[in-house]
Amino acid sequence: MNNNNKSHKEKGGSGITRRGFLSRASQLGWASMMATFAGSLYGGYRFMVPNVLYEPPTVFKIGTLDEFGMGVDTRLVKERQIWVARNEKGLYVLVAICRHLGCTPNWFADQERFRCPCHGSIYDIFGNVRGGPAPRTLWRAAVSLDPVDKQIIVDTGTRQDPDPKGTAEGLFVEEAGREIEPYFIPV
Amino acid sequence: MKKSFLDRLSDRLTELVTESQIWKAIFRHGFPDTDVNRSLVVFTNVFLHLHPVKVRKGALKVRFAWCAGGLTFFFFLVLTFTGLFLMFYYVPDTRRAYNDIKDLQTVIFFGNLTRDMHRWAAHAMVFFVWLHMMRVFLTGSYKPPREFNWVVGVLLLVMTLVLSWTGYLLPWDQLALWAITVGSKMAEATPLIGVAGPFAKELGITPSNDIRFMLLGGTIVGQSALLRFYVIHCIALPLVAAIFMTIHFWRIRKDGFSGPL
Repeated sequence: MNNNNKSHKEKGGSGITRRGFLSRASQLGWASMMATFAGSLYGGYRFMVPNVLYEPPTVFKIGTLDEFGMGVDTRLVKERQIWVARNEKGLYVLVAICRHLGCTPNWFADQERFRCPCHGSIYDIFGNVRGGPAPRTLWRAAVSLDPVDKQIIVDTGTRQDPDPKGTAEGLFVEEAGREIEPYFIPV
Repeated sequence: MKKSFLDRLSDRLTELVTESQIWKAIFRHGFPDTDVNRSLVVFTNVFLHLHPVKVRKGALKVRFAWCAGGLTFFFFLVLTFTGLFLMFYYVPDTRRAYNDIKDLQTVIFFGNLTRDMHRWAAHAMVFFVWLHMMRVFLTGSYKPPREFNWVVGVLLLVMTLVLSWTGYLLPWDQLALWAITVGSKMAEATPLIGVAGPFAKELGITPSNDIRFMLLGGTIVGQSALLRFYVIHCIALPLVAAIFMTIHFWRIRKDGFSGPL
């Protein structure tokens, strides 16, 4: 054994034994195989995440301020999945997605409540939770005014989601803290 | 005693068939009238070789549990065949999927029957998986040496439920849309890979790279979601489930039957 190793060293003359070389080569082989596996795993993941989505736009214009009266406007629920709400101070946009499991609640003007048909979550006009399983208040979308045509620009990708406070009445968020830019347009 | 004409005819025909090259090329054993041939029948057949060569008489009795695991497999086969037929008429396109279902119910001969068989077999499969698992649990058949097969069975339960869930979306009606909206929202709460689950922030999980996004192929239940669910429902999961069923049945052979079916 020892003699053999010695003779290899003597033959090579560069200090690298055949065994050492093969062991290095196999380490390199294993490493490159693992790298290939890791690469194809990442490639497989990346294949499943498309670069372009053919989905409805999240930024869009909904018209000028005077087109929306006091209270909740339900005109845009089907097309844009939002409610436009207005009070004496200004205008805000609620995202019409239930915070429980993502259904679309309905607005009942007589009760002044949003009610979700799926599991019975109840919200008031501010989006505060008044009943049901919803764990958080309704999202409010970012809004701004186009300086040129004065139309309201809604961005449902940017959402206000403050931590609510639990009370006997439901889950509440201080309204003053909500009516801030960019989630509120004072009128 | 002299053989009758019919006996001689049947002997001659039997010989003609079993001595032919085609028969001999397929079957490598004689009539199963000896122990050797009986065992050869089992282990020269690709389907039967998963089954033990010898089984205790008591283990084959169908008693109170009605061979619920076997019935589950039967419903899987019904679903495979009826599903194959449904695929000839159904197109996973949001503009026509619902109408294709309507066509299956109204204008295709036996279309409604095929669809109903598929639907009821799906319900029955879930129900019998549950019955089967309850039997296994109550008879303690999950205990060593069968604990690995119990784990395979739990995976098969999950696959059965996900197959049910993915099939739910395909009719593309209101029920389908909201069921998948709700179900995919639940997936958001998965630890590590869901945007609303634990450790999502630390791992940089967002709505556009989490498990819900991977399932739906987007952020809403739309065309890409319908197509993904169709592929998962018709190809990916049945294939994986079939592989796991093979392992499941093979383990039964290795571990032995625990008792009557």
